[in-house]
Amino acid sequence: MAWRSALRLDAVWRELRGIAIALLMVAATTVVAWGLIRYLDVRRGSPIYLIPVLLAGWHLGRIPALAAAIAGVLWSGYFFYSPFYTYFVARPAEIINLTLFMIVALVTSHLANSMKQQAELARKRENQMSDLYAFSRQLAAAPTAADIYRAIEEHLASLVQRRVLLFGAGRNPAAETEAPQPVQAAIASIQRGAALTTTVSEAGDTWLIRRVSSRTPDFGVLAIDLGHMPAVDDIRRRVDDALADASATLERLDVARALNEAKMRSETELLREALIGSVSHELRTPLAAIMGAATVLRGSPAVAQDERLHSLAGVVRDEAERLNNDIQNLLDATRISRHQIKPQLEWIEPADIVNSALERRHRRLAEHTVALDMDSNLPFIYVDPVLVQQAFVQIVDNAAKYSPSGSTIDISAKRNGHDVVLSVHDHGAGLTADEMAQLGERFFRGHRLAATTSGSGLGLWIAKAFVGANGGRLQATSEGADQGTTVSIFLPYNADANQPEAAPDD
Amino acid sequence: MTEQQPPIVLVVDDEVQIRRFLRAGLELDGFVVQDAETGADALKSVTLQQPDLVILDLGLPDMDGGDVLERLRSWSTVPLIVLSVRSNEAEKVRLLESGADDYVVKPFGMAELLARAHAAMRRQVRAATGEPVVRAGPLTIDLAARIVSLNGSRVTLTPKEYRLLQLLAQHAGNVVTHQYLLKEVWGSPHMHDTHYLRIFVRKLRQKIEQDPTQPQILLTELGVGYRLANPEVGQRVAN
Repeated sequence: MAWRSALRLDAVWRELRGIAIALLMVAATTVVAWGLIRYLDVRRGSPIYLIPVLLAGWHLGRIPALAAAIAGVLWSGYFFYSPFYTYFVARPAEIINLTLFMIVALVTSHLANSMKQQAELARKRENQMSDLYAFSRQLAAAPTAADIYRAIEEHLASLVQRRVLLFGAGRNPAAETEAPQPVQAAIASIQRGAALTTTVSEAGDTWLIRRVSSRTPDFGVLAIDLGHMPAVDDIRRRVDDALADASATLERLDVARALNEAKMRSETELLREALIGSVSHELRTPLAAIMGAATVLRGSPAVAQDERLHSLAGVVRDEAERLNNDIQNLLDATRISRHQIKPQLEWIEPADIVNSALERRHRRLAEHTVALDMDSNLPFIYVDPVLVQQAFVQIVDNAAKYSPSGSTIDISAKRNGHDVVLSVHDHGAGLTADEMAQLGERFFRGHRLAATTSGSGLGLWIAKAFVGANGGRLQATSEGADQGTTVSIFLPYNADANQPEAAPDD
Repeated sequence: MTEQQPPIVLVVDDEVQIRRFLRAGLELDGFVVQDAETGADALKSVTLQQPDLVILDLGLPDMDGGDVLERLRSWSTVPLIVLSVRSNEAEKVRLLESGADDYVVKPFGMAELLARAHAAMRRQVRAATGEPVVRAGPLTIDLAARIVSLNGSRVTLTPKEYRLLQLLAQHAGNVVTHQYLLKEVWGSPHMHDTHYLRIFVRKLRQKIEQDPTQPQILLTELGVGYRLANPEVGQRVAN
């Protein structure tokens, strides 16, 4: 494989560089030796060559140390043994002497190298221990299972410097798609309790897969991407060390129970969703029959001739409609709390929103006088018209509900600075300062009128959310109790320059 | 639809109570009512009975109402109104594009359904007889002479304004989607340029509406399209 030969070439280069440095050190020593002989007349200076050998052994490894030793012997022979200034050594005693020097140099370099390696190993162990210790302290301080899982992921990721994925245990299921297919399969089998740990090789990467806890698969499964790291056993041992601590802490927190609760909660959520879905169908179908039948009755000749029956059929129809609106409010409230409001933005004539809302509530408003005041040349606004209309309908409903029949409701659409403002002003119950502060909170209903008017306290809260989703805001003002209320929707429009471009007209 | 032969309506709905009130309301209005409970029944009945109108509920036990609609439209142009519980605008648009003439959202009043149904049936009759004049309140659109007049006096329109009004007049009383109008007036590349319509409709309303901020003729269906006011009942359906 290409990377393997590259690795070998790299090692050769490192050794060659080491040898070159070792020889340079020997050369520097030689300069010193020459100075000693020349100026101080030192004649037994050969041990000086042990210095580069030691240094090479410590810093550069065995082969550069050997090179330093050989060069040192040669130069010793040159300087310190007769005949001087030749590499040739004549006397047998001196030959023995040089040989001894050679042996000492080799042993020294070997010792230096071993010491160096042991020191490095000791430092590495110490780092590992302090990592593990820091991890233990983090675990001890973790208040929740989520914190423990985060600590595990962080610790292992820093350990292997690669990806660590955690599966199950209520973690983000999106993580599962990050792992390659064979890894996912291995994870699934471990999750079913097949084994404690396994390794999978995929596309040149080795994955270590292991249960977080040796006792139960409930605490999740880890997948660690080791890449091409050869020391799988070493990593596995260290992962074991880390997880022994972590799973003990998880058990201490009784995470299993918490996880079960989370599972149950999500099932409750599903149930609620199903319930709301069926409410929408199961209640609305009979409501549709009630309302439809009431309108047929009302239109039938026999009933139409009798004023009392005619108005009774109208009551059935109107109450069915109101019930339907209440159901719609519940559904909308659920959509809002589930963050399922996704505005479909388009350019729209502001007056269209107002007109459409009034059309939907024309029966509700039949007993009021509606005074409309809309500017004919309002800028187009870029909103979800249906959501804004639904918000406006809520406001109109409130105005009709909290003002006496026969009174006037003023509805306007105006430009105000960089906003288009849709307002509803009634001459009804008004708001006290206290009520104004709480208005628009979920389920808030004014105490003064709660007994005499029905409602869920959802309407304005929904209106506020729908307007907010369109980048607008809702404002309610009142001079005080029984002084009437004005509720306005402020919808921003960009300056006139950003109005939609005119359509080509032929 | 002649005086001697009352029109036949096929009601496709699996809910018996809905069928019952629809039957009562439609019979009071002079229809002969036939029922189908499933999509398969509906497709068979349309072939055999050749109804003048179909009222189709989308929630059927055997097949999706949208599929029934598409299958039916592959060989029949019968006027068809969809009953939907889904108040999702994208869904309404999809159904209209699949060939529904109009929709009503449950719960609804009988008058609303009848207004939509009669409008769809008139389109069919106009297509068959070549009747060229469509009225919407004070507005008269002569599709043959290409003349639009308001209270008897002629209104000057640009060709594209006329084209827009013409498309709405052909479906008078029924909703026409933004996409359809855009495609027919400006061509397919502008299918989603809804703002073209907003600007054009504002200009058009200034020419034909008494108060353009409170239109009585050219009505907006938010998120779906436009509707030319129902010529018979007026813009608002009372019940």
